[in-house]
Amino acid sequence: MVLTELGGQISSALQKMSNVTVIDQKALQECINEINRALLQADVSFKLVQTLATNIKKTVNPDDLAAGHNKRKIMQQAVFNELCGLLDPGKPSYTPKKGKQCVVMFVGLQGSGKTTTCTKYAQYYRKKGFKPSLVCADTFRAGAFDQLKQNATKANIPFFGSYTETDPVAIAQTGVENFKKENSDLIIVDTSGRHKQEASLFEEMRQVSEVTKPDLIIFVMDSSIGQAAFDQAQAFKQSVPVGAVIITKMDGHAKGGGALSAVAATKSPVIFLGTGEHMDEFELFDVKPFVSRLLGMGDWSGFMDK
Amino acid sequence: FSSLIQSVAGKAVIEEEDLAPALKGLKDRLLVKNVAQEITDELSSSVATSLVGKKMASFTRISTTVQKAMEEALVRILTPKRSIDILRDVHAAKEQGRPYVVVFCGVNGVGKSTNLAKVGYWLMQHNVSVMMAACDTFRSGAVEQLRTHANRLQISLFQRGYEKDPALVAKEAIREAIMNKIDVVLVDTAGRMQDNEPLMRALAKLVHMNNPDLVLFVGEALVGNDGVDQLMKFNQKLVDLSTSATPRTIDGILLTKFDTVDDKVGAALSMVYKSGAPIMFLGCGQTYTDLKKLNVKSIIKSLLS
Ligand SMILES: Nc1nc2c(ncn2[C@@H]2O[C@H](COP(=O)(O)OP(=O)(O)OP(=O)(O)O)[C@@H](O)[C@H]2O)c(=O)[nH]1
Ligand SMILES: Nc1nc2c(ncn2[C@@H]2O[C@H](COP(=O)(O)OP(=O)(O)OP(=O)(O)O)[C@@H](O)[C@H]2O)c(=O)[nH]1
Ligand SMILES: [Mg+2]
Ligand SMILES: [Mg+2]
Repeated sequence: MVLTELGGQISSALQKMSNVTVIDQKALQECINEINRALLQADVSFKLVQTLATNIKKTVNPDDLAAGHNKRKIMQQAVFNELCGLLDPGKPSYTPKKGKQCVVMFVGLQGSGKTTTCTKYAQYYRKKGFKPSLVCADTFRAGAFDQLKQNATKANIPFFGSYTETDPVAIAQTGVENFKKENSDLIIVDTSGRHKQEASLFEEMRQVSEVTKPDLIIFVMDSSIGQAAFDQAQAFKQSVPVGAVIITKMDGHAKGGGALSAVAATKSPVIFLGTGEHMDEFELFDVKPFVSRLLGMGDWSGFMDK
Repeated sequence: FSSLIQSVAGKAVIEEEDLAPALKGLKDRLLVKNVAQEITDELSSSVATSLVGKKMASFTRISTTVQKAMEEALVRILTPKRSIDILRDVHAAKEQGRPYVVVFCGVNGVGKSTNLAKVGYWLMQHNVSVMMAACDTFRSGAVEQLRTHANRLQISLFQRGYEKDPALVAKEAIREAIMNKIDVVLVDTAGRMQDNEPLMRALAKLVHMNNPDLVLFVGEALVGNDGVDQLMKFNQKLVDLSTSATPRTIDGILLTKFDTVDDKVGAALSMVYKSGAPIMFLGCGQTYTDLKKLNVKSIIKSLLS
């Protein structure tokens, strides 16, 4: 998996530390520096890395690391807890309930994987007995409706969109109304890619959200994103009530730290991972195994149920 | 910050530890600007090497000296070593009676197809006739996406639908362009992850079979540390997986979504630093005119501000 390299680096930083017999402030600082480097290399936002380091310094008392204690375990637990904290906003996300009509809206930066993920999401819930449907409220990107249409057709999921209507707000409204009448219990609204620098795009997103009244807004984020992640994610959250995050392209080589930052910025949990271009390449997300994997597993697994 | 403006007036020669605080500050700034971690390390040690042992001008702050040395290093890196004049080369190809062929490649969703259309528009502004070749035969809607751009721009489109071998579609497109005396063929390809061997092999085949004039790597300014890995692996796999005795590599970079990163422009530096390939275009928006040339000065200003 893509995140093991980070885990390897942190593990080796810890290993180095446990080889030192006397742990003083200096040894602790050196260890933290190496952890910082690893996290920065994984694209965790600079600010978050600093907070993380401060927190670890606060929670780990060098006196506890004196002889007789398991230094390595204490540091590991501290790093593990901090990373989990980063990924765990403390409240679960809204989940669709069978039979109860619900609207889910997908938002995110350009090319992050929204349209692809919409169909994956629909297909995941159909397997659970839902009646999903797809609305294409992207009238901007060339070929957007064809893309959604072809995916939906292959997956055999009802869809709605238009080649002539240019107002995404109107399409979203009509589409959601239609599928409500048709008793779809999971109406998924795909939207155009957008970015915080263009206010009119965010205004459009707010309007789509207003007319469709989504029960859940999902922010879709590419796992390879760098230091711009935090600001962009935060801007989305400030504009519409983002309730969950999906991280895509986890089949790539990126270490995913930017996505970690996005979670911190939106205070919303990650619910799924995209792991390929095919419709079944989609996994449920779970914080603790994810962090264990991020840290390269091994003896980290012992912390999972604490 | 005060540690950065310590004065070493009166000190004759710069020593390593004099530089440390200023370098650390500068490194942190580059990291925030989205420069890849390993590159900030390499840059700061090369700046250190260039300064240690040098005489210090009196009453100069060490931070100023370090900043100046870094600026010089950045100018050196970002100033292209090989320059490509597309329009000149297009005319040269035309004189040989063949079209100039550009292949756009990169990972998923970075903006290959959109910026291909922008380049098409730019060429048309220079009275060059263009054909788009729809060689993303995999992703849903890819052909229709290109057709929409072709219709809007009144550019001809060559397409064979989905599930065809993209290398062969490109070959047919070029043949058709020769027949119709078209000046430039812009080849769109499907996005692929740099570690996906079968897909990288298919790209190497397309490049080998069609021997384009220009292989453009499309990367997005949003990308973090993975950007360098993407570019280096695309380059390497074009060599490793090619059946040609003289394999092609990446000739240039098209950096997209430059409008989405504010001053976090580090990806531009990271990519050029590692590959030495020039940034030929910057994509800075979603309309046809949003294509710029790289301005080295303004990039450096953003990086060091
Ligand atoms: N390898 C890989 N590719 C993915 C994944 N998810 C999406 N993609 C690809 O990423 C590219 C962009 O995906 P889209 O679904 O079009 O992204 P989008 O967010 O809808 O894009 P816009 O509507 O233009 O903003 C496509 O080539 C997808 O096939 C994933 O998990 N892994
Ligand atoms: N803001 C901004 N968006 C861009 C830029 N270039 C492309 N985009 C958007 O990025 C999204 C993806 O663009 P595409 O051209 O489809 O990307 P691609 O690399 O061809 O994607 P695949 O073929 O699926 O791998 C679209 O929504 C584009 O409008 C740019 O310079 N700035
Ligand atoms: Mg889309
Ligand atoms: Mg494309």
